[in-house]
Amino acid sequence: MKSLWRFPFTRPAAIFTLVFLYVPIIVLVVLSFGAEDSIARWSGFSLRWYAEVWDNDTMLRTIRNSLTVAVFAMLFGTAAATMAALALARGTFRGKTIAALLLGLPLVVPEIVAGISVLLFFVLVGIRLGITSIILAHIVFVIPYAYLPIRARLDGMDPALVEAAADLYAPRWTAFYRIILPLIWPGIAAGATLAFIGSLGDVVVSYFVSGPGATTLPVYVFSMVRMGVTPVVNAVSTLLLAASIAVFSLSYLVSRSKG
Amino acid sequence: MTAVWRRAALLAPSLGWIAAFLVLPLCLMAYVSTLARGPMGGVDWNHHTADAYVQFLFERDLMDRLVVNTDYLRIFGRSFALAGGTTVLTLLIGFPTAIWMAFQPPSRRLLLVFIITVPFWTNILVRNYAWILLLRTGGLIDTLLRASGLSNEPFSILYTPLATGIGLTYSFLPYMVLPIYVSLEKIDRRLVEAAFDLGASRWAAFRRVILPLAMPGVMGGAILVFVPGLGAFISPELLGGAKSMMIGSLIQQQFGQSRNWPFGAALAFVLFALVLLALGAHQLRYRREAR
Amino acid sequence: MNDAVPAIEGRDLVREFAGGVRALDGVSLSIRPNEFFTLLGPSGCGKTTLLRAIAGLEVPDSGSISLYGQPLDGLPPWKRPVNTVFQSYAIFPHLTVAQNVAFGLEMQRRPRAEIAARVAEMLALVKLEGLDGRKSSQLSGGQQQRVALARALATSPRVLLLDEPLSALDLKLRTEMQLELKRLQARVGITFIFVTHDQHEALTMSDRIAVMNAGQIQQIGTPDEIYDRPASRFVADFIGATNLLEATGTGEGAYRLADGSQIAAQGPAGSVWLAIRPERLRIAPEGSLHGVVEHAVYEGTDTIYHVVVSETVRLRVRAPNSDGASARFATGAAVGVVIPADAVRVLQS
Ligand SMILES: Nc1ncnc2c1ncn2[C@@H]1O[C@H](COP(=O)(O)OP(=O)(O)OP(=O)(O)O)[C@@H](O)[C@H]1O
Ligand SMILES: [Mg+2]
Repeated sequence: MKSLWRFPFTRPAAIFTLVFLYVPIIVLVVLSFGAEDSIARWSGFSLRWYAEVWDNDTMLRTIRNSLTVAVFAMLFGTAAATMAALALARGTFRGKTIAALLLGLPLVVPEIVAGISVLLFFVLVGIRLGITSIILAHIVFVIPYAYLPIRARLDGMDPALVEAAADLYAPRWTAFYRIILPLIWPGIAAGATLAFIGSLGDVVVSYFVSGPGATTLPVYVFSMVRMGVTPVVNAVSTLLLAASIAVFSLSYLVSRSKG
Repeated sequence: MTAVWRRAALLAPSLGWIAAFLVLPLCLMAYVSTLARGPMGGVDWNHHTADAYVQFLFERDLMDRLVVNTDYLRIFGRSFALAGGTTVLTLLIGFPTAIWMAFQPPSRRLLLVFIITVPFWTNILVRNYAWILLLRTGGLIDTLLRASGLSNEPFSILYTPLATGIGLTYSFLPYMVLPIYVSLEKIDRRLVEAAFDLGASRWAAFRRVILPLAMPGVMGGAILVFVPGLGAFISPELLGGAKSMMIGSLIQQQFGQSRNWPFGAALAFVLFALVLLALGAHQLRYRREAR
Repeated sequence: MNDAVPAIEGRDLVREFAGGVRALDGVSLSIRPNEFFTLLGPSGCGKTTLLRAIAGLEVPDSGSISLYGQPLDGLPPWKRPVNTVFQSYAIFPHLTVAQNVAFGLEMQRRPRAEIAARVAEMLALVKLEGLDGRKSSQLSGGQQQRVALARALATSPRVLLLDEPLSALDLKLRTEMQLELKRLQARVGITFIFVTHDQHEALTMSDRIAVMNAGQIQQIGTPDEIYDRPASRFVADFIGATNLLEATGTGEGAYRLADGSQIAAQGPAGSVWLAIRPERLRIAPEGSLHGVVEHAVYEGTDTIYHVVVSETVRLRVRAPNSDGASARFATGAAVGVVIPADAVRVLQS
């Protein structure tokens, strides 16, 4: 008998989705290892475009910028988000709804709107555009990314655990680092990962708030792509892809192994 | 009292940051949209005017009369059409996919969620760029078509609204699949079994039990696709041509070549308002259903 | 220890939650040292809230609590020498069994050697030797319950609070743990305040019981006092099975029921409730009330007869089956019911 749970048309749709999602990525990766600069003329495997990335000083500098920005945004964003999650996880108080709305605001504002309004703000307030301005803006956008998994972890925690610690003579701060912190650690790791990937991948906001001479890799690649397709972009895109997937898979494995 | 202070201290960094570097800029943007354009670009702080909003619908002809100009309206219309079309397309592909995923054995479900989530978290620029490689003349699809003899014409849909649509669909498909999957996965299997037991066919069980319970996911997914689709910048910039401009590029232009900050700010403000309207409508509907 | 000083003394405790629920509505009670004291009452009556107020996890709006004469008010939970066994057990999932039991001792900064010895002693006490390296996810419900108990007892608190510690266990394990808890309490000599809504558990385990309802204490007494001499209609109805009859006192040692029939009993005049335990009634021809057996429920050792005396008066009679099948009555049989005067508890309404 056919399984009860097999609904018609769903399997082909799912197969289509998977093919649709992965074929472009695979094509990109394969081309980045091609010797020629066109798909039509495949003549073998080569690392030539990666070598060109390595020789491109501007690109290396933007890679370093991107990593700097992502690390700072991750650290500050995750710290702020963890504190917010601790404050909002339990109890009701006046202003809680407003606080939650405000925390979700960066997710709701269209990137382009956020980008130009922050640009306006920096220009009018007189903050110089550069690495610092990018970090300032990125922290805003990674806070909700980091917040959600931490909050989910806290919500899944039995409130009696903290009470039990207090009952067993642990003052508030001790209870925090002996009980709460170890238990929400996977959530913090996941939040930090999302913050890192989010910052690393951002194009639009960075595009507006980066200054001349100090941009991130995606912004640099964006301007290259608008000039025209060069296989160097394939190579650097593959590197970006690999970085995101590696960080994401790592956090996935960590969060699963910790249950 | 101490509890209040502790909470305030915990909330201060995140909320303070968001207030300073998002809320304040948004207010500033709204304010700038009411200012006159400065003589050298920038803004004239001393001169308030509704020009930026008037400019959206009207232009001045040679005799300095206001005549209706539908250029910008058309760009908004196109953005709505593309975002709406993307929503429908992702729903058509995403819903059956989510159903298939939700009724797989649990061990496989986790892996599938992971597989769908990976593109979600890979760089959006890279993902749109990959489509250039597929769609351009001399790209993969063109090469395959010619090699197989199906076509001798050079194939190119790059730099058309269709290409933008494909890019948007590709970018936002996981946003549709995941929330629907989550709402489907929460459905108690026994409810569906009860429907079967009461004589429902697969189709009836789907329509009467699964679909209503999956509705919050569908609505959530639609919002998650439509809202960023409306303000999309990367897909139209990379894949669309000059003839398929969307709101995002129009706004960017005002801060680039056109140097018309008040108009750019007004456009951004209108876009933000539209997004809030869509979210508000969704909230309202959701609340009514929850009751 | 001075028996005159209560282990726990609560005065006029009030706790009102947002939404106007009064979980504690003027609770006063005094718990003696080394007593097994039980809080009993229906769901939502405020038992947990009272326990949490004693532990310091909940701050009452008004009223005060003292421990052996020392006021506890304003002390945070980590400064109160009172420990709790939580209903969900709250075993720290990232720590092993031994680390869980050691937690309180570490917080008190006891020497390492002493902690190790005490942990071993506690695990032996609750019969968990050999499981010290396990995590809570690798333990059965009963084992988790023992860990929670060992953890709470390790620091030798002056009072142990137990919030429905047995409710998550199956019947067999539950009965076993009831006995064990009693034994444990006798051995460690600590005051136990035990919360349950299982009256059988309360009656068999407790030295004294406080019956609560809607944030108020209805009666405090030993199990037999609570059972035989309920102080209110609520207690009579809540504990065990009871015949509750509305009656009016004639003032001459007799009460008139709604249908006019009379029952002899000592008590005040006026409008009252009569509470009569079914096992104190007897079916016999010479009974003062007469009726018809509506149905009989066979329960093995006893049979419960539902006797219809009149439209407004119905009685449940529990009769032992010790006389064999011949002594039983069938449905429809006309019977007399004997009501001993000392079986009738008169409760003012
Ligand atoms: N944090 C809270 N906020 C609001 N109301 C509460 C809170 N805690 C308890 N209550 C209410 O106070 C009343 C007493 O609750 P409590 O938990 O003390 O009852 P309980 O006797 O322990 O019940 P149970 O047998 O179900 O555990 C209930 O009506 C409950 O809904
Ligand atoms: Mg309770």
